[in-house]
Amino acid sequence: MRTITAIFKDDADRAQWAPCFRKFENLVQMLLVQDIPGKMAHFHEQCINPALFIISTRLYPVENPGLIKIIREFCPNSEFLLVAPPSDPFPPLDPLVYDNVRHLVIDMEEAATDGIDDSSLLYTVVNKLLEMAPLKIKDYLKPGTCIHEFRVTSTEQKEELISSLELLIGGEGPDVELLRQKGALLADEMLENAFYGAPRDEKGASRYEKGEQRLIHIHETILFRFGFDGACLAMEMEDNWGSLAPDTVLEYLAKNQESRDICEEMGGRGLFIIWRFLDHMHIHIEPGRQTVVGGQVKLITEENLSENKGFHITCFAN
Amino acid sequence: METNFKMEITKYPEFDRVIFHGNIDIHASNYLQALPDNVANSKVKLDFSQVGRINSMGIALLLRLCKKIRDEKKAEIILTGVNTMHTMLFKTTGVFLLAAIER
Repeated sequence: MRTITAIFKDDADRAQWAPCFRKFENLVQMLLVQDIPGKMAHFHEQCINPALFIISTRLYPVENPGLIKIIREFCPNSEFLLVAPPSDPFPPLDPLVYDNVRHLVIDMEEAATDGIDDSSLLYTVVNKLLEMAPLKIKDYLKPGTCIHEFRVTSTEQKEELISSLELLIGGEGPDVELLRQKGALLADEMLENAFYGAPRDEKGASRYEKGEQRLIHIHETILFRFGFDGACLAMEMEDNWGSLAPDTVLEYLAKNQESRDICEEMGGRGLFIIWRFLDHMHIHIEPGRQTVVGGQVKLITEENLSENKGFHITCFAN
Repeated sequence: METNFKMEITKYPEFDRVIFHGNIDIHASNYLQALPDNVANSKVKLDFSQVGRINSMGIALLLRLCKKIRDEKKAEIILTGVNTMHTMLFKTTGVFLLAAIER
């Protein structure tokens, strides 16, 4: 059985998250940080290897920067998922790059008090990590929501595709308009990345100039999918290059997030914008075969917009 | 809203006003690169009220434009007609470090 170990800063932190883990009660051990040295030795003696460590951002990376390194010494194959309440300060990303921690879920405050249901993002991400399966856009949407899929054949289709997405988000008012604009920007960035960022030659150089008009080669796949269930817009772009490295994604996010310099040529700005304008971003990479960049963005009032965004970067066979 | 980029420059005694139209992306490159040469005043107002999407390439062009106007022309840059989406984008990418928003 693939098990989970969750680690918290203190009793208050553990108590806040406890309702979220009730659904995993057969799988999860909820520890405090001071339990870790003894527990790791026990795991080692008993040959126990939790598949997943869930760690509160109140604990890592700021307060216990060496935690991941300690755990990895005993459990080198485990995955790490950070969990943060939306109201907490956003953690610095550089330590995550260093420790190769690729999953962060910003959970809803109400989930921490009332528990989570099958549709919650935390529940979905934890299950996907245990199953070693990538997130799909249907995972964000209410059951039965229609997912639209387009095979892109030319760069000239960009505006038409963006219009299709905008049309799907029906309704009036500033919140709906903001969601439409976010969806349009996200689609623009995802398409630009698929047209010009993903195609690479043997030396890793871009095959095409930005803005160059081109037909998509018959052996090239660009699939654009999106769905809207009235409260959540989910979208993703798939290409068959698989040219993005998981480490690079996290480095781009960290560099753009933490840079204090104004640099017009900052690498990975497109990906950074995608992340910042989604509520949760997923990236799935099969090196040399496939890259999927997507996520969800919720219909929400302007004053409730959160600065904190999650991500889920996976790299395993589909 | 028109998607193709264009811009209008009007010179007033106190400031130069540049109204952008359409999306700001790679197709705005030639216009924005040439713009600093047309700035003469010590204050420049960039009007985004007719602008649709601004993508990452557009942000790179705007950062370059603002740096050039600020550093080479020694001019103050004021952003006007900025909507919620532009505000979020400019805040995220550092544009507000180079230019102030009109109050």
